[in-house]
Amino acid sequence: MSDALLKVRNIESFYGPIMAIRGVSLDVHEGQIVSILGANGAGKTTLMKTISGVMDPEKGQIVFDGREIQGQEPHRVVQAGIVHVPEGREVFPLLTVDENLTLGAYTDIDRTRINRHRELVFDYFPVLGERRNQEAGTLSGGQQQMLAIGRGLMGNPRIMLLDEPSLGLSPILVQEIFGILKRLNAEQGVTMMLVEQNASAALELADHGYVMEVGRIVMDGPADELMQSEDIRNFYLGVQEAGVRESRRWKRKKTWR
Amino acid sequence: MDARTPPPPAETVVINGVRFNARPGTRPVTVDGADTIVGLFRQRCAALGARTAHREKDLGIWKSWSWDDYWTHARWIGMGLRKLGLKRGEVVSILSEDRKEWAWFDLGIQSVGGIASGVYTTDSASQLAYLVNDSDSRFLIVENEEQLDKFLIAEDEMPGLAGVIILDDEGLHDLDHPKCLFLEDLYEIGRKADADEPDAFEAEIDKARPEDVALLIYTSGTTGMPKGAMLTHENIMAAIEAGAHGLPAFETDEQLCFLPLCHILERDVSIYFPLAAKCTVNFAESPETVFANMQEVSPHTFTAVPRVWEKIFSRVTILNQEATPLGRWAFGRALRAGQARAEHLLRGEPVPAGVAARWWLWDRLVLRNLRRMLGMDRMRRGGTGAAPISPELLKWYWSIGVPLVEGYGMTETAGIATINTPEDNRIGTIGRPVAGVDVRIAPNGEIQVRGLNIFKGYWRSNEKTAETFTEDGWLKTGDVGRMDEDGYVTITGRIKDIIITAGGKNITPAEIESRLKFSHYISDAVIIGDGRKYLTALIMIDQENVEKFAQDRKVPFSNFASLCAAKEVRDLIAAEVAAVNREFARVEQIKDFRLIDVLLTAEDEELTATMKLKRNLVEKKHKHLIDEMY
Repeated sequence: MSDALLKVRNIESFYGPIMAIRGVSLDVHEGQIVSILGANGAGKTTLMKTISGVMDPEKGQIVFDGREIQGQEPHRVVQAGIVHVPEGREVFPLLTVDENLTLGAYTDIDRTRINRHRELVFDYFPVLGERRNQEAGTLSGGQQQMLAIGRGLMGNPRIMLLDEPSLGLSPILVQEIFGILKRLNAEQGVTMMLVEQNASAALELADHGYVMEVGRIVMDGPADELMQSEDIRNFYLGVQEAGVRESRRWKRKKTWR
Repeated sequence: MDARTPPPPAETVVINGVRFNARPGTRPVTVDGADTIVGLFRQRCAALGARTAHREKDLGIWKSWSWDDYWTHARWIGMGLRKLGLKRGEVVSILSEDRKEWAWFDLGIQSVGGIASGVYTTDSASQLAYLVNDSDSRFLIVENEEQLDKFLIAEDEMPGLAGVIILDDEGLHDLDHPKCLFLEDLYEIGRKADADEPDAFEAEIDKARPEDVALLIYTSGTTGMPKGAMLTHENIMAAIEAGAHGLPAFETDEQLCFLPLCHILERDVSIYFPLAAKCTVNFAESPETVFANMQEVSPHTFTAVPRVWEKIFSRVTILNQEATPLGRWAFGRALRAGQARAEHLLRGEPVPAGVAARWWLWDRLVLRNLRRMLGMDRMRRGGTGAAPISPELLKWYWSIGVPLVEGYGMTETAGIATINTPEDNRIGTIGRPVAGVDVRIAPNGEIQVRGLNIFKGYWRSNEKTAETFTEDGWLKTGDVGRMDEDGYVTITGRIKDIIITAGGKNITPAEIESRLKFSHYISDAVIIGDGRKYLTALIMIDQENVEKFAQDRKVPFSNFASLCAAKEVRDLIAAEVAAVNREFARVEQIKDFRLIDVLLTAEDEELTATMKLKRNLVEKKHKHLIDEMY
């Protein structure tokens, strides 16, 4: 396979004395969607923040398109082509949809290109076009999520880091948003790295998956293989093993094979 | 002289407040006058009453259970099982993690003449069925719903079971099964039976004879199906006697119980030895919390397998590497001061004043804190056994002020045969024969043992029993070794494992394997080469240390398989193998090796309960790796 677009090598990140990421390495290839699964506190968001420059790693490299970018200021990382769509949407509630999108194009000065991107966003998220002059705070949760993704697209990213786009959304909305993400990937060639708790949605969308536990990757593989793994099925997809009793409470130990 | 004068009292000796025969290894073996485990148990409970026998954590808080509790519950258990139909000489299997009830059941079953047999919680349903059937168990004790499911899965294969007792009813309130009952129900049956026949329980205890089988221990067996070794009351009393002579324990001692009680080592150390020594046993919450529990308990003596000692060492090493430069410098100085002192101690010489002063300073500044952090600040003696341990590791513990000694024993010797003691220690050997036990080296190099601790035989297999003894009645341990002029024994390998290469050379793989294992990066290894042109090795890496190595050298990896596949890791292990090769002759060189790239857990059949690789299963399961090398 060709060299990966984004290469993470042996990253270690800390919150003060607490080691949140204890040596993570992974690859994201151009045009792929990669999902990172893991329970609360596994270090998924920290990993995203470390890539986008919000946090500096203590050790390790992040190589994007052949260039080391670890420890760079976030705006430089955005200029390099990495856009982070944060957890919990974080749209600017008092600005209009349009203004929010304009902010997403902060690094761009070419007006025609900005307008082209805006049209692209409205194309994929028509509801944003309908409400372009409405304050973002008045949008529904799903619409705010769309706006956050749209704002990310305005930066013309080569890779989008999506932190739990399904957070707090109804299953039907999750389906809709994930459908749009899939189309963006297929039609626009946007490479994506996705952090998710909703494992089945994430694995269906992704080409490749990584599973994180307490700051380390414990398992990785093509998404369809992961979906077949007993551990993933038991612990992430909620498939209950057929037991001898109906009300079985214990779970087998994870082996990550 | 009057012929009717009573025989003179046997000569006795008092060790740390407990009376033993003056001449160890003579019949009848008595401890404070008792000649059976249950006799001693009755005596202790009566004398110690409300004093704490066990501690266990309940919802995060340590709680105590007294010797009275020990007695009452064992009594209900014994009377309950008797009422349900348990006869003397019948077996009860216990499938549970360590907990106070394990001890209560062990003694309760034995008190009414039953035989207690432990089953590892990592065993599968079919392994459970094999053990229950082979031992012809009448009852099965299961810890919780997880273990109960194993019975339910294989129920049809175990028709001989009369009943199953569940210790922990969580999640099982709606269980309705004719053979199952909960612990509380058993207590209730026991209470009633006891009220009906108040003298029966003690009468049963009186019936026990030293030669009666008290427990059955299935040997994990790195080859073939597990065999049940029968240990009698006398065997255990002899082990207690031997332990008391070499491994002093006091009634104020605190201990931590965490290795499986199905294993003779922990059973001796945490159930039988404390019966004699009257010390307090604290049960670890789970195998994962041992280190935290250790800090809380700060045991006076601590017995573990080498893997645990290696883990603690690794933790300290990693902490040190991540400390501040000043911290690292101070630790380095302290360790050197400790080493200087340890060298004198290990040679049995007085420590020169200068060395002692340096030690005193660095002990105050660094090592004492380290020991407190590890929960070893009160530790008088650490013990290791069940697998070979690296001499460097032993020296390291002495250097930080923890006297760690190696011993040797097996199920068939009731867990104890030779020991080093802090006062009488030769690193690299397994020590000298314990009091009352004789050890000899047969002409073929095999270590053979004789004593009252030697087991009665294998359960229902006279043939296998006969194979285990020499014609003159010595136990064939299956280990090969030598004995020096002072009586210290060194093990070099297992007889059955001897490899004969295609060139006709006899090689004892254990020697090479244990050298490999002494590397911090290798957790276990199996040497291959029987009938082959040269030797190769299958190696299981130590996950934590190799991950740390990879992380420090910026070697990318995602999961365990990719860690094993990394070139740097293979080079690292190759260097370790090369270092070991330098110590061996040309025919004993390891020409090639492969890493086992799946992370094995205790549930995997390739590992024994003490996490050793089983040679023949490993050879079978990883045949493709072996074939690659030839």
